[in-house]
Amino acid sequence: MGDIVSAENLVVVYQDGTRAVEDISFSVEEGEFFGFLGPNGAGKSTTIKVLTTLLRKTSGKVTVAGANLDKSPGVIRKAIGVLSQETSLDVDLTGWENLHLQGRLQQMSGKALNERVEELLRLVQLEDVAKKPAGRYSGGMRKRLDLACALINKPRLLFLDEPTTGLDAQSRAAIWEYLESLNKEEGITIFLTTQYLEEADRLCHRLSIMDRGKLIAKGTPSELKETVGDDRVNLTLRDPLSRDKTKQILKTIHGVSGVSDSDGGVVAYTKNAGQIIAELVTTLDRNGIRPSFLSVSTPTLDDVFLRETGRRIRSDELSRRETELFLM
Amino acid sequence: MTILFDTQSLLERFLTKLIRNPTLLGTSLAEPILFLVLFSQLFTKFSSFLSTGSGGYLAYLVPGIVLFNAMITAPQGGVSIANDLNSGFLSKMLLTQVRRSAILLGRLLTDMTVAVAQSAITIGVAVAMGVSFSLGAPGVLLLLLTSAFFEFALSGIFLAVGIATRKTETISALASVVFFPLVFISSAMFPVSFFPSWAQTFSNYNPVSYTSDVMRQLVTGGLNLTTLAYAYGLIGAIAVVTFAATLYQFRKVVS
Repeated sequence: MGDIVSAENLVVVYQDGTRAVEDISFSVEEGEFFGFLGPNGAGKSTTIKVLTTLLRKTSGKVTVAGANLDKSPGVIRKAIGVLSQETSLDVDLTGWENLHLQGRLQQMSGKALNERVEELLRLVQLEDVAKKPAGRYSGGMRKRLDLACALINKPRLLFLDEPTTGLDAQSRAAIWEYLESLNKEEGITIFLTTQYLEEADRLCHRLSIMDRGKLIAKGTPSELKETVGDDRVNLTLRDPLSRDKTKQILKTIHGVSGVSDSDGGVVAYTKNAGQIIAELVTTLDRNGIRPSFLSVSTPTLDDVFLRETGRRIRSDELSRRETELFLM
Repeated sequence: MTILFDTQSLLERFLTKLIRNPTLLGTSLAEPILFLVLFSQLFTKFSSFLSTGSGGYLAYLVPGIVLFNAMITAPQGGVSIANDLNSGFLSKMLLTQVRRSAILLGRLLTDMTVAVAQSAITIGVAVAMGVSFSLGAPGVLLLLLTSAFFEFALSGIFLAVGIATRKTETISALASVVFFPLVFISSAMFPVSFFPSWAQTFSNYNPVSYTSDVMRQLVTGGLNLTTLAYAYGLIGAIAVVTFAATLYQFRKVVS
């Protein structure tokens, strides 16, 4: 499939001189779930505002849904849906009225609009509260209604600017499910920005990592993580004196690319910990070595960010995703 | 016509919001009654020592109250657009295919509708209190049209300020500073002969005086078409200036 978004040498400089986007180029294929991952202030929202016709670029060439951004912004608006970072509903209007108004502003009317409103209320599971003012909705319900508003015109391309920021884990998971289903079942191309590593990792087929207005890495989540290093199997030993023997045994296991010491134990490196973990445990057991604690940690996208910038995206998230397998 | 469809959609939005806010709706509709009854009772003795024309002070006051209500409705548009800017709803609208001009027109028509409703209530209460409209239904219709036109012209100031500052407090403060001198140093509420000379001079240049004088002719009779044309020209000139400012600010947002 062809590109539905194409940006070449995009630059955005604000009136106060702030260089928000610094000469970036990227493309998004039709049908893809594409993401921009980066910390606050990276330039992600600015880029989305440009692509959705809300903000003028300083320079560069941008095409969205086959239309040139400078020449045909109206064609772009017809083809896209946008879910902004901040929920923007009319809180005095009901859920039904919000959707209906959004449809009318997209030049829809009559039976077709009414049916689309009902269909979307079912999709986001708000039929029961459709006649209540949106101001009485919870944060998660408002976000779902906002998502439904973005879908009213059956867009080919959906822009999502940090769609789950501020939501609780349950609401976030619900939004993820809707988005995955929209991409897989409806074939809608999705362009997401996020500062959540897990969100980018789970949802995006391909992503670009953005920092200080520049794209610093591109690829699939797996490709990006592979560039950082192997999975780690962390073993805490009951008997510290068995460390050397343990290392020798680990080296004999197929798939283990290296071993090293750690506080109170040993670390084994491997491309895919899931594939060797059973053999690793049984081999050690056969040789009389029973670790008191075993965990696996895999590289995250934050490790990619760390390698490229020397900083982490979020200090409150783990740098490596650690999975505790069992305590022996 | 897309622009009519869009304007109608947004007019319906604003009227629905107004209906959903019973306090705002109630006070908006009660204000004209309150002002008319209060002012006519407090200052009813004016007619005994000042020339207030035929129909006494109550008939004199009706156009002033109609105009005053139209004026205090004018800031609502600025408040509304500032709220839409701050909540992100304006951006949401700009992401659709809506005609940009309809965003302003929908709001303006809403406020003009409120101004006409308030004027109609004022006229109804005045009739109940014994005021007779010498030009009949055509005079009443022209009175309603004039109040809507005046409201429209003034609302441009507040739309421009609302877009530029995005602060509803600024709009409220500006409204007080603009309206009270304009209304009370004019012929709207009291005959200017009652004023000190400096206030009479101010009143002679005050567009509110011209408009209220014409509106008074529509109540008590003796309509002078030249005066009417002059007043409409003046209101039109105000509208041109205020909407130039509004469009200048609005283009910065939508482009």
